Amino acid sequence: MTTALRQHAEHQFAHELTLLAASDTKPRPPQWKLSPWSVATYLLGGTLESGEVITPKYYGDRRLVEVAIATLATDRALLLLGVPGTAKTWLAEHLAAAISGDSTLLVQGTAGTSEESLRYGWNYAELLAKGPSRRALVPSPMMRAMEEGKIARVEELTRIPADVQDTLITLLSEKNLPIPELGEEVQAVQGFNVIATANNRDRGVNELSSALKRRFNTVVLPLPDDLEDEVRIVQARVEQLGRALQIPAEPPALEEVRRVVTVFRELRNGVTADGKTKLKSPSSTLSTAEAIGVINQGLSLAAHFGDRTLRAADAASSLIGAIVKDPVQDHVVWQEYLETVIKEREGWKDFYRACRKVE
Amino acid sequence: MPSEPHIFGIRHHGPGSARSLVRALESLSPDCLLVEGPPDAESILPLAAHAAIHPPVALLIYDPEQLRRSVYYPFAEFSPEWQAIRFGLARSIPVRFIDLPQSIQMGLAARTEAEAAVEPPPDANPTQHPDASSELNTAPDAPPACSPEAPLEGPDSLRADPLTHLAMAAGFSDGERWWEHLVEHRRGGENVFHAVLEAMTALREAALPTHRSPADAARETLREAHMRQALREAQRDGFERIALVCGAWHAPALAQRPAAREDAALLKGLPKRKVAATWIPWTHGRLAQASGYGAGIESPGWYEFLWQHAHASGTELTLRWLIRVSRLLRGEDLDASSASVIEAVRLAESLAALRGQPLPGLSELNEATRCVLCFGDALPLRLIEQKLVIGERLGSVPEETPSVPLARNLTQEQKRLRFPPEATHKDIDLDLRKANDLDRSRLLHRLRLLSVPWGEPRKDSASRQGTFHEFWNLQWRPEFAVALIEAAVWGNTIADAASAKASHDADASADLPALTALLDTVLLADLPAAASRLMTRLQSVAAVSSDVAHLMDALPPLAGILRYGHVRKTDTGMVGVVTDGLVARITIGLPVACGSLDDDAAEAMVDRIRMSDSAIDLLQCRQHTEAWRSALQRLIDLPGIHGLVAGRACRLLYKSRAIDPTEMSRRVSLALSTANPPIRSACWIDGLLRDGGLLLLHDENLWNILDAWIAQLTPTAFLAALPLLRRAFSNLTAAERRQLGERVAKGPDNTKTPGLVLPTEFDEARANQVLPLLAQLLGLPS
Repeated sequence: MTTALRQHAEHQFAHELTLLAASDTKPRPPQWKLSPWSVATYLLGGTLESGEVITPKYYGDRRLVEVAIATLATDRALLLLGVPGTAKTWLAEHLAAAISGDSTLLVQGTAGTSEESLRYGWNYAELLAKGPSRRALVPSPMMRAMEEGKIARVEELTRIPADVQDTLITLLSEKNLPIPELGEEVQAVQGFNVIATANNRDRGVNELSSALKRRFNTVVLPLPDDLEDEVRIVQARVEQLGRALQIPAEPPALEEVRRVVTVFRELRNGVTADGKTKLKSPSSTLSTAEAIGVINQGLSLAAHFGDRTLRAADAASSLIGAIVKDPVQDHVVWQEYLETVIKEREGWKDFYRACRKVE
Repeated sequence: MPSEPHIFGIRHHGPGSARSLVRALESLSPDCLLVEGPPDAESILPLAAHAAIHPPVALLIYDPEQLRRSVYYPFAEFSPEWQAIRFGLARSIPVRFIDLPQSIQMGLAARTEAEAAVEPPPDANPTQHPDASSELNTAPDAPPACSPEAPLEGPDSLRADPLTHLAMAAGFSDGERWWEHLVEHRRGGENVFHAVLEAMTALREAALPTHRSPADAARETLREAHMRQALREAQRDGFERIALVCGAWHAPALAQRPAAREDAALLKGLPKRKVAATWIPWTHGRLAQASGYGAGIESPGWYEFLWQHAHASGTELTLRWLIRVSRLLRGEDLDASSASVIEAVRLAESLAALRGQPLPGLSELNEATRCVLCFGDALPLRLIEQKLVIGERLGSVPEETPSVPLARNLTQEQKRLRFPPEATHKDIDLDLRKANDLDRSRLLHRLRLLSVPWGEPRKDSASRQGTFHEFWNLQWRPEFAVALIEAAVWGNTIADAASAKASHDADASADLPALTALLDTVLLADLPAAASRLMTRLQSVAAVSSDVAHLMDALPPLAGILRYGHVRKTDTGMVGVVTDGLVARITIGLPVACGSLDDDAAEAMVDRIRMSDSAIDLLQCRQHTEAWRSALQRLIDLPGIHGLVAGRACRLLYKSRAIDPTEMSRRVSLALSTANPPIRSACWIDGLLRDGGLLLLHDENLWNILDAWIAQLTPTAFLAALPLLRRAFSNLTAAERRQLGERVAKGPDNTKTPGLVLPTEFDEARANQVLPLLAQLLGLPS
């Protein structure tokens, strides 16, 4: 038997889910594997009465997770919005795993996603041979979720063409899917719901119609709001990835990671860490995931062309690449930041010089 | 045997407490009402029943000799104290304030300050609040402010709002919803106050050992002793059903009374100051800030809503609130359908259920609103916060209200400066070198900031930089008295109020030119605190302003202040910091801002460049000048830049010798090459020569460059260039054109050294006699 590169959440954390289900005494909405309280514990971590420890899956605001769970309990669909790298998909997968015990009913949204992937397709050999019948029908993940009363997930909702998105409108309000070819319909069983994720930076791709937006409760996932948290997340991920990619370099010094994260946070928030100086923000997202990328690239530079230790110069070039996406506006923003903030900062002289050199 | 009083421990500004209190008072029908409040204000208490008083209002107690020493006791419609006072006044029941009089509290503070003035650490705060720290004994070190048991910010918030702490402990997000849950669902008239008394007794026992600083504890002991004494006095006066309304925290201390003589001993011989009291209008926004009754409340608008919908059921409240939210959103052109409201109600209720609360509180409602009605966007939520959760209600007070300290302060100032208000129109001329006139000018500027335009600066007066004189039109109008009462909310002295108002305006405005104009006034009014606030604000607005034009507009006034500020003895240190930031941003952004301009925009930009250039000249900072020149240099090399701008930039660079004559002549011929579109060349030379006729007349080099360029033109090229040149020269004045013409008519004069046109005959000996005096005048070492 071969091992999958990445297991589904409900398999990876099967043990925790069983424990939670066993100790769960609170009422469960129809078809839910766990009560809303236990779902919250599964996501945010905690200790059960039996002393077993549940690991946290999502680090962040408890209230946000509660809003997301409460939304699914009201049978309203949930839309998770956020800039890239804010764990939208991660949260959606774990929610589906905890609520339905199945995170595989997934529609991957792309520009080429067609109506068939949201409704149903046909097995044409069967269709031609015997005419339309339920046997010839190929159900979509959405249709299966409706029939089985489970959570369906739609990834990257805004990348799906607008006319295909419209399919969701009736599906979400009427909770049924007509099959005119057979004169039948599929009615959603209790427990069915939809979690969609979308990127709110490039919303312009296929802006959601207001009719569709109204059918979702929207939860915006924020970037980590604490410097130390973000440094820790970046540090941990860089080490994991470094092992996976087998980069022959020392793990990055905390100091260098902190500098990169500080630059990212300051530009993203439009204000310096001490809250004293306002800054312009560039057009780039500057998510935590990108900070991880910058450090990784710096590490690989240091490993192959440097002295195997991440130095300011190694980080500088990929840092600027991540920040300056628009050559005119972003460049002005970066220059202002470099000259008014980095230049004056105590102990950042080498960093300033490295950045100036890349220019 | 005196009758036992009925003690009502309430939550300050708690609508639930107010409702229970009114119900309890109705069933008790007391014959005397004692309220935790300043006895100094009893003389103006009857005004609370006046038809023209509309809360939110505040009782202002102040020291007439030291106006900065003052305390506000704000009341909203839903404040239990307010309801108790109105209840008593409406039924002609005697109402007494029983807190430790502010005359004593201020006396104590004054004594502390006097002691602090002798000892080194002078950290006594002149504006003191009853629940804020004011040291009784000069204790060098207070014990650690926070203890692990305190779930919120620490002891102050615990004592100011102990019920919210209990609510939090019970898992509620909001003290009001908890009270609602406890009281409304059990219908327990006075019983609830017994319960509060018991809870507070337990809380005080738990909190007392750790949560006190000695000075605070001492002051609280005095306050409670005074309340007990006032209670005993009421008992002696023979009242039988005494109702006592005080903050929940104090209730146990008033129920368990020690012997009267202990309290009497405590209160003996305390220092006193003379104080005055008045009512002033208050706002919901200010209720949200910390003030007289300790910590402020976060959501006056929400409380008012709860008070107004006293009889609505739980779901109905949720629904009504969300309908208000949706109406507000619709008013702002945001979609908010009834269907969405229904979904928001459902989400709020299931959130409350998930959190184990019987009813959604404000935080659940806000989360549901954001999630359903605002599509996850936090921005509309800020609007809701401002308009609904806090609210914008402004109170009013009747005309009979005693005059506010601000008006008194103005009278004092007018007397001091021998500057009486007159209803007739009058022109005055202030000589700013005289101290008295300078102070008068400051007073007028401050009043203008407070929207009391007693004096209007005369437009025809020469600019501030050029002269020591300032010209004003003066006229005192009766409505200024009303304006002063309205302005009283900002502070008790003209300077404080103007400073607070200017700071507020600064925070409210995000417009650079408006901020610079305000800064100008603030500096004229000599308000350093507001000025530094404005500087910070300017800096942050400038940092995010992508409009270089705005930045350039803001620079000249600032440079003027920096250069000429010393005339008015203003502190210009901070201006320098802001100016540095502005110059850095302008020099970085200038080329981008000049990238693609049409004719009108180019005209405006040339003006701005001219103004900025002289402003930067004025600053006389080498670093700035260099950065500016390199920005101009980049500008003239920019492909596709508007001719007008490039021409002017070239001239500025040439004038400051950043480019030499050879380079200049290359640039001229490059710009005027026939390959360029004629319009662009015309604009370029227009930019070069615009109001620069004199320069051309007197600068031999520039003259020669242009002359040489024209001379080398072939006849056809000359004919082509002629209309352009005519156009450019037509912008010069007639006199300049005539002089230029005369000069051309004389023909090239190569024999003359440029710049030296004097006759050679002069008497050197006589000229030398002048030199020593000249050296002395110039301050040169002889």
